[in-house]
Amino acid sequence: MEIASDRIFQNFEKSLEEFKESIELTKQEKAAKLASQVDILSQSRNGLVYLLQKIGELDRAGIFNNTVWSEPDKLIPLLVKGTLKVGHPTSSFEILSELRLLAFATGIEKSDKIAQKDAQSFLEEVMVHNLEFAHQDVSEETRLAMPVRELKKAFNLFGFIVSEIDLQGVYEKLAEEIRLICAQRPIMTRKARELIRLVNERFDTTGDSETDRSVRLYINAIYAPSEGARNNTSLKDYEYFLSESSVATLEREARAMGEHMNATGLVSGYHSLLLKKLVADYEDLVPVCLHLNDRGVAEWEKFHGLISTLINETVSPDNCQCIYGLARMLGKSLFSRRPVRVGLENLRKVKIHSMVEKRISKSLINKDADVTVLQYLIGGTIKVLGQHLGVGQGNNPTCQSARGISMWSQHAPAMLIDMIITVATQNDLIMRFENQDLTSNQLGKGLLEKLDYNLDVVSVVLVPHLDKIYNEMMKRSAYRGEDPHKWVNPAMYGQWVHVGFASCYDYPSNSIVDYAGFVKIFYAAFHPDFNGQHQMVYPNPVGIFLTTNKGVMVGLHAISLLRVDKNKKGEMRAYFLNPNNEGRQDWGQGIKPTVFGNGEKPGESSLPFYQFVARVYAFHYSALDVKSWLSLVPQEEIRKVEPLAKESWGKSYVWNQQTKLW
Amino acid sequence: MAKCFALMGWSLPVIESMQKLGKPYVVVSFPDFEPYAAEHNIPFVPYQLDEWSDTSNSLDLVEKLKPYNADVAVPLYEETVEWAGALNSIYRNDPRVLNRAFLFRNKAIMKRKALIGGLRVGLFEEVYSKDGVKAFMRRLNEANLQLEGEEDSWVHIKPFASAGTVGHRLLKSMAQIDEECEDGDFPCLAESHLPGREFSCEAFIHKGKIRFLNITEYVKLGYSNFIPEGNFLETKRELIHKQVQKMVDIFGIEFGMVHPEWFLTENDELNFGETACRIPGGHILELCSKSYEFDALAAFVVSHDPNATEEELDAIFPPKGFKPKYYHGNVMIYPHKRQFSKLEIPEELNNDPYFTEHSLVPPYEGQKISGDRGGFGNHFGTINFKGEDPDRMTELLKHYQKVDFYV
Repeated sequence: MEIASDRIFQNFEKSLEEFKESIELTKQEKAAKLASQVDILSQSRNGLVYLLQKIGELDRAGIFNNTVWSEPDKLIPLLVKGTLKVGHPTSSFEILSELRLLAFATGIEKSDKIAQKDAQSFLEEVMVHNLEFAHQDVSEETRLAMPVRELKKAFNLFGFIVSEIDLQGVYEKLAEEIRLICAQRPIMTRKARELIRLVNERFDTTGDSETDRSVRLYINAIYAPSEGARNNTSLKDYEYFLSESSVATLEREARAMGEHMNATGLVSGYHSLLLKKLVADYEDLVPVCLHLNDRGVAEWEKFHGLISTLINETVSPDNCQCIYGLARMLGKSLFSRRPVRVGLENLRKVKIHSMVEKRISKSLINKDADVTVLQYLIGGTIKVLGQHLGVGQGNNPTCQSARGISMWSQHAPAMLIDMIITVATQNDLIMRFENQDLTSNQLGKGLLEKLDYNLDVVSVVLVPHLDKIYNEMMKRSAYRGEDPHKWVNPAMYGQWVHVGFASCYDYPSNSIVDYAGFVKIFYAAFHPDFNGQHQMVYPNPVGIFLTTNKGVMVGLHAISLLRVDKNKKGEMRAYFLNPNNEGRQDWGQGIKPTVFGNGEKPGESSLPFYQFVARVYAFHYSALDVKSWLSLVPQEEIRKVEPLAKESWGKSYVWNQQTKLW
Repeated sequence: MAKCFALMGWSLPVIESMQKLGKPYVVVSFPDFEPYAAEHNIPFVPYQLDEWSDTSNSLDLVEKLKPYNADVAVPLYEETVEWAGALNSIYRNDPRVLNRAFLFRNKAIMKRKALIGGLRVGLFEEVYSKDGVKAFMRRLNEANLQLEGEEDSWVHIKPFASAGTVGHRLLKSMAQIDEECEDGDFPCLAESHLPGREFSCEAFIHKGKIRFLNITEYVKLGYSNFIPEGNFLETKRELIHKQVQKMVDIFGIEFGMVHPEWFLTENDELNFGETACRIPGGHILELCSKSYEFDALAAFVVSHDPNATEEELDAIFPPKGFKPKYYHGNVMIYPHKRQFSKLEIPEELNNDPYFTEHSLVPPYEGQKISGDRGGFGNHFGTINFKGEDPDRMTELLKHYQKVDFYV
């Protein structure tokens, strides 16, 4: 985190002095300049601490006079996020307003307008609506709306508020947040771990309510996944404990840890010590420790040589999370594929390019001193292979790259390992596009301005290159009068992507053409009731219109449609991967993707089929296969979708009703 | 000291300075401002300043100002220079004060007066049509001994009475005259191109003598400047001081402030561009206040007062020989694109030790800039810098003028 320097404080003091001395007429202009100082100060924690000290003085000097923030008792918590999204200077005033309430809530300042406890509950409610800022992990919509600098301000503000206020009122909400994040089994567990740490430190969770019990499961998964770990909290003590334990004790430890890992997707540092101990001395207990299913046990028995080597070389307390990835890999029988085994053997022996080494190191926070970058890379590879739906884009505009990594992990794991090896050793990547080789190091900038390093290791290695190549393909396909994705997706992702392509958006006329025809193809291609009960084989790269919770268009986004199926209630749903780190979204009109409770596998999002269709603007399909089914798609279905589209993102376009020859 | 200053034109910063100074004043401006003035207890006389008629003239205005005891008029804008001149003619019982105001408002008369007095000016002429400009360029070509095939001499045309660069055109060829000149441009002043390095200064005059001279370093005209002047111009301070005093003498200016523009040639000769006698643009007096640690706007007003005593002047101006500790500069930000949606402040700006503050505002959604801008148009805000090294200041101002903050 940045530190505000004395110079910044001096400039602020100077502007504050001018503001205080100014007559009422010019206060507004002086306030604007002062706000530019607030903008800078809010970039750093010590800047916020300083502003909190000054907030009473600022308030009394009239900084909020004649603004919407003038009366602290009339503010609305729900509006805070929208105001922050507007950007400077509005966001800078909003930050001051929160700091003023923080001062009231913590008793630093007194107000005759708002009671201390009302200020407190105001901030609690603001927190609940803005957890994405507190996590520093935001939705795609927020990311599109806010420049990096503004995001940083919001991150800082909420990090600061969390550390300063009493959180009692948001306990339930935080508990649910932890549960739903973990239900998605993300590769990056930093956000979940941060929240769990926060709840553990700030709340009494020993009660017997359902929330208490749920929260304790996650806290234990990290801090006390077994009796032995509970009694020997330091890793050193635990290691000693293991060396003294009987087989029965070790089995009890293995079972407890395996169960915790399976139930939460989270792995503790103790688990790494236990697993290594078992690999060395009690191989039979490894399947218990990894909570393996039958297939997993069979894999372990067949390939325990290589797997043991990988465990010994890779697993460490800070690199422990890959144990979960490994268990999932075994459960998917990935080791039975020779290319995967060869690829992992190859990866063990590479020498990592110094630039790549730097990138990986930058993404690690508490790097174990004796674990090499290569070990982290192998651990990262295992995670991606085991949890293909856990890949996320972080705070980067690189949904396409994340989508690719996820798809290859599932359908071309050995190719993905090969790609990781190439980039890790050469810091370069070549892909072919329309008979020309694209070498990433010879290409211009991609979509990425500056990589956000809060990313998994594999993404940190690959994304800068994939992003450039993807962008180059897009550039080369521009001005063809059609959506460039038509050519880019099959070239980028591979032969799993159909070459047939439909987009309802017509480039030359900037309008939506023959929407009914477009929807009909989507139904005929993917809806089992209208395509002869065909299920999807491979993920389909789909472009969607991203909308706000009011249904207002904010931009385009890349996701993967994974499967279409009925849930338990018999509702036909689309299951998809949203490479944005958070599957739970609110796209307006009641269209709210869920990640849990509707038959989703961990990492999947889902929506009722017709609601999903109402946000799609482009997809790939088999033009030959779809023909015979088109006439079977009933008009009612299309009539269900069309108004949802027209009354949301559709308002941003002209609608052209003419029929198109698809 | 004056009994009451009549401020000709609406300017909040000047009103603020007057309130801080604690001297009586009254604002004369358009009736639109009256409700605001009433709400904030600002002494105010509404007047239709853009009209000259039986009901709108200086004799009438003097009557309206009598209840306030006004005895000094101060022009804040180019358009109120004649009004202030007319009022001061009456207050000082000297009709030539008005004529002098006309001098400031007609660039042709101004040049002629300068020429008679012995200032170096270019060739100039009043022109009434495109043909007039062409004839002027032809004569200039002859004078410059143009040979067949050589480029035409550059000609500037500007309206007689507009502020700064409003309506200014640089014409580099006969063809350009046809292409760019419009009937609405005429009549106007045509003049030859003056060589040299351009800068402006602000001389506060009292009883015909320069009381305080500020030199402004233009980094890019209309975009960025800083105060005090950089190292090179500082070495020419004495020369400039002399020349400005000469101009003041020639024009017979007794009170107020002049804001002349000069071109300094390589041979240390100063070419006279033009001069104004109102508050300069570009937040120049704000920078001047910061560097010289005084209230330049209050000083501007007070220097118009014939009755101000030496003590009163000493109290308001910086001490003689005052050396500023810091350079203060600013760059005015205009969007580079026609359409933009966001304000983006680059991180390097925030981290720069010279950066102090900015007043940039974000655009409203999908904001567009209309095609026609007078002069430099309205900027979207300024960025202020402060530091000890004029060369670094120049670098920064040059750099940030090129950065597009609106994307």
